[in-house]
Amino acid sequence: MISEEFEFRAPTKLAEALSLLERYGDDAKILAGGMSLVPMMTLGLVRPKTVISFNHITDLNFVIDAKDVIRIGAMTRHDTVAHHDLIKKHLPLLATAAVGIGDVQVRHRGTIGGSLAHADPAADYPPVMLVAGAQFRIQSAKGDRMVKAAEFFTGLMQTAVGAGEVLSEIHVPKLPAGAGSAYLRLHRVEGSFPIVNAAAVIEKGFKSARVAIGGVGESAVMIDVTKHLSKGVSDQSLRAISDAAYDASGDAYGDLNGDTEYRRAMARVYAQRVIKAAAAQIR
Amino acid sequence: MKYIGKEIVGLPTRQLVAGKGQYVSDVILDGMLHMAIVRSPYAHARIKSIDTKPAEAVPGVVYVITGKEVIENMRPIMEAYDTAAMDAKSVKCYALCPERVRYVGEAVAAVVAEDKYTARLAADLVEVDYEELPVVFDAEEAMKPGAPLVEPDWDSNVMVTRDFIRGDLDKAFAEADGTFSGTINTQRYTGAAIEPRGYVATYDPYQDMLTMWASTQNPHPMRVFLAETLGIPETSIRVIQPHVGGGFGLKIPTFQEEPLIAYLARKLARPIKWIEERQENLLVGGHARQNRLHYDVAYKKDGSVIGFRAKVIADVGAPAALCGWGQSFVTSYCIPTCYKIPNCRVQLFTVVTNKCPWNAYRGYGKEAASFLMDRVMDGVAKATGVDRAEVRLKNFIQPEEFPYSQVSGAMIDSGNYPKALNRVLEMVGYKDFPKLQADARKQGRCIGLGIGQELTPEGCSMPKSTLLSGYDGCTVRVNPSGQVTVLTGVTSPGSGNETGIAQIVADTLGVDVKLIRVIQGDTDTCPYGLGNYSSRSIIMGGAAAQVAGTDIREKMFKVAAKMLEVAPADIDSEDGKIYVKGAPSRYVLFKDVASTVYRDCYGKFASDVEPGLEATRYFRHPNVYHQPEVDGRFSSYPSWPNGVSACVVEVDPETGIVKLLRYCAVHDAGVLINPLLAQANLHGGIIQGLGGAMFENLVYDEAGQLKTASFLDYTIPTAVDCPSLEVEHQETRSPFNPLGCKGVGESGVTAPLGAICSAVENALGHLKLNFDEMPLTPDRVWQEIRHAQQQA
Amino acid sequence: MKTPVEVTVNKKKYKVEVDTRMILADMLREELRLTGTHIGCGTGNCGACTVVLNGETVKSCCIIAADANGQEITTIEGLSSSATELHPIQQAFVENQGLQCGYCTPGMVLSTLQLLKDNPNPTEDEIRHGISGNLCRCTGYQFIVQSIQDAAKRLSNGGQPGASQ
Repeated sequence: MISEEFEFRAPTKLAEALSLLERYGDDAKILAGGMSLVPMMTLGLVRPKTVISFNHITDLNFVIDAKDVIRIGAMTRHDTVAHHDLIKKHLPLLATAAVGIGDVQVRHRGTIGGSLAHADPAADYPPVMLVAGAQFRIQSAKGDRMVKAAEFFTGLMQTAVGAGEVLSEIHVPKLPAGAGSAYLRLHRVEGSFPIVNAAAVIEKGFKSARVAIGGVGESAVMIDVTKHLSKGVSDQSLRAISDAAYDASGDAYGDLNGDTEYRRAMARVYAQRVIKAAAAQIR
Repeated sequence: MKYIGKEIVGLPTRQLVAGKGQYVSDVILDGMLHMAIVRSPYAHARIKSIDTKPAEAVPGVVYVITGKEVIENMRPIMEAYDTAAMDAKSVKCYALCPERVRYVGEAVAAVVAEDKYTARLAADLVEVDYEELPVVFDAEEAMKPGAPLVEPDWDSNVMVTRDFIRGDLDKAFAEADGTFSGTINTQRYTGAAIEPRGYVATYDPYQDMLTMWASTQNPHPMRVFLAETLGIPETSIRVIQPHVGGGFGLKIPTFQEEPLIAYLARKLARPIKWIEERQENLLVGGHARQNRLHYDVAYKKDGSVIGFRAKVIADVGAPAALCGWGQSFVTSYCIPTCYKIPNCRVQLFTVVTNKCPWNAYRGYGKEAASFLMDRVMDGVAKATGVDRAEVRLKNFIQPEEFPYSQVSGAMIDSGNYPKALNRVLEMVGYKDFPKLQADARKQGRCIGLGIGQELTPEGCSMPKSTLLSGYDGCTVRVNPSGQVTVLTGVTSPGSGNETGIAQIVADTLGVDVKLIRVIQGDTDTCPYGLGNYSSRSIIMGGAAAQVAGTDIREKMFKVAAKMLEVAPADIDSEDGKIYVKGAPSRYVLFKDVASTVYRDCYGKFASDVEPGLEATRYFRHPNVYHQPEVDGRFSSYPSWPNGVSACVVEVDPETGIVKLLRYCAVHDAGVLINPLLAQANLHGGIIQGLGGAMFENLVYDEAGQLKTASFLDYTIPTAVDCPSLEVEHQETRSPFNPLGCKGVGESGVTAPLGAICSAVENALGHLKLNFDEMPLTPDRVWQEIRHAQQQA
Repeated sequence: MKTPVEVTVNKKKYKVEVDTRMILADMLREELRLTGTHIGCGTGNCGACTVVLNGETVKSCCIIAADANGQEITTIEGLSSSATELHPIQQAFVENQGLQCGYCTPGMVLSTLQLLKDNPNPTEDEIRHGISGNLCRCTGYQFIVQSIQDAAKRLSNGGQPGASQ
């Protein structure tokens, strides 16, 4: 149970929320879906003085086709991400990642913004954001800026979102025509956090290829594997990608679900598998 | 109409499915206070001082209690399992630790407040000054001379030992065609019922009556324990068991919170509630299973085992008043399970460490014995090249050899192990599997088949035990209008025995089962009985119901015989009619006979029977024997259900992921009163076994902190992680139980361990894997594969 | 700290003052006395606290009660009108023995409601995924899966038991 007293605020407009954030600064925690924050408060791991719920701000829940990018409001629930036609069409790997999060109930409530801002090292979205080249809109009462995915995740459960700021939108470029993409996760029981996960995007004709792997460091790592795939997928190219994944996961941590060695080995396996799966999707 | 053997849906299901069940957390009383516990953050420490003032200063806090008040006002918690009767060492454990904590989570103080948030908040403000003491977390380390002592008054950390020997081990090992040795580790895990523990206590000072609603399996024993621990009369306590959201052994008393909340309710004379949080449940709600089992096997070329030594080292955590440590005895008692090994020695070392105490958990040590023997039989098959099933068939106790006295003196009542094994092999397609496996391999898939055998003695009965004994009671009351009230001493934490008991009474009296209302779990209304554990509720409680029902039946037949003008021996009853055998049209209605007894007790039909139609009777199981001083024999388990499983897995050798494709089981629990509920129990047992085999693990760090204290880290299987189960029953009647039943509550939980390990090894046969540790999580399987590849 | 909450639960409007620390599950149970919603873990894993919030199942142990202000909720108590008239899903659970201790059952039933709304004719695999957020320790899920298969038939058959298999 949550034992520490806190003040609860539920603004209905973003501007109101931003001014609250400015006022409370570090004392406030933003409550999105609450799928991580509320359990952490229940377990006593987080004891905020103020909780600002974004659940009543309806204009942060959207999926919009904006020419080259899909704009996703931070309060868009995983279930929407998983099943939205625009996302399924232009970012199928993102839909796949969303479908694997938690379970039905968690996906109904949990949000893409909340998950990204929580920045768990093995969360489902970060590898997808990295390979898709997403940008994150971060707003505060004073400013409005865009941050590239590669610069958004700054460390273990750390992001570029500062005190008084909030992640408000995610802009994910549509995959280039004919590109292949995939997302895979390794987990212990259904719905549990990935042990290791991987996402890949390969442009048609192997013009470019990127793979990102989660669960092998403080945050997901991305590798540009274009050079390895210049002649397409082969045993040799997969071996090179596997080696690159191993090298990129030197900071892998160990926990109950696998030690460093296992995670680095899985970085190899999942890098290869996700590349093969993405290559098979090239049209 | 006969009900025994019929599939009838459990009686409480409508209420429960409507969300109208009444669990302990649903008990909400006016003026109710809430309790929160201050727990030790250290694995072993001396309590230097406790400052309760910061907690007391919180508005809404009503009372703060520490161990000092407890030892001044309460006795040590009464032991659930009598250590003296088992030659085991004991300690005095109190509702709150007065001076020394021995594991992380042990209760040292408690706060009572007007609401639960305040209670928890204030509990976190109680300042306890500790002096850390040396710790020991590994059982074999704890056995070494000079190891830190969990109990400084003991001469070692070994709590109890046993040494069972039969035959000439040296000769057997000398004459063997081959020998091998090994060690297996079973991990620490637990039942984790979805409903955590909880108690609500209230006290009426005018009647001197403490009423306690408890999510417990054993209301009557709990009352005895509370009375002894609080030093108050049993008659001043009423324990009510509301609906219980799963027990699996873990809700057997005696936990610290039970006498604590009872004491506080009396002291404050206000209702108090304590509902365990999940993290507390995983931390202190009882652990089980952690064993290291060393073994040596002597075998002949044909696969027969001629000599076997086993050393059971059980890491039971800190000693407590709970009955969990007894599981280690049962492991040693069961080895070598279904097998006839002429020369056999089983040694037991029950060792205490600075971890959470064991409490009973479904399987109660039997699972470790059966898992060990599965590993041994697979080992013999590997060593000799004889087929795994063949090795088992060769070593089984044969059907005509029962009752069979095992090395420990255990008297196995009956069984037909070869028949069950042959049937499960047929179900799973054992003969054709190699072809299937080869075909899969050609497609790059690694599939494997495994066999797991289980023997689960039931109806645990230990000498001088308040809790564990082979009897139970039942009241059958036929009411004036012919409906029947049945009050039992056994309880149902969701397992459905109330339905089985209704079926038994319906058949005994010859009435519609709908006329029967079964009442359980209230010490003020039900006859004294021991509640639910060791699959005993039907074998003891069902038999007691039959005995009590038979008394009433005989009485009613006497009256009916007069009404029908025949001899009592000439009548029978069915469908609410008591009729003349061979002339069913000559009958009286059951309800009219009842009415006659109650309303016309001076009349010509009922004047020579005692008024009333109520009988309370007790059943004592004939296959228990507790008089070793007379003839050296000791038999504590009357009933020996058994089963065998065969499963098929697919292993991804690159990741270590194991997927269970099929799971077949044949089970023999004797006569099934309600095959639907028996099947339901088996499904649950098998999946808990699967959890232990593949997913669940209570992990401590090097400081004795539990790293798996929530369901985020203690992963129990979801519906997606479970296969559809294929289960069949075989019926070998118990020759000792009047119903022929053997019990089914713990069945199924054991075989998955051996079967899954065996199947994973079989899937990667070329690597010669050997799993001696669980659970088979992806990383463990991967490590094992890599290790084997490096060896090759 | 207290905060006012107005909610519609099972079509009935409620106005309560709750402690901000209170989770939605506790508000339903302790303030509204709808104790059919159970709490098994507090961390959003077991699903015993599943309720329907604005038409979608959620885990009410992971929602701050105050955050439910202005929302519409259905709990297990909202499914059947009386003891004699269970919802077809509940009836299917009864007849298939889709429960033992009953503690996870309200959540299981509501997840089934969601599943069959989204997918009236699910495969066994889809059923298992549909209830993967609801842990059960008694049944091994087998009779639950059977109950849901039966419930699907009943719902497509006007609430009556489906034609025999």
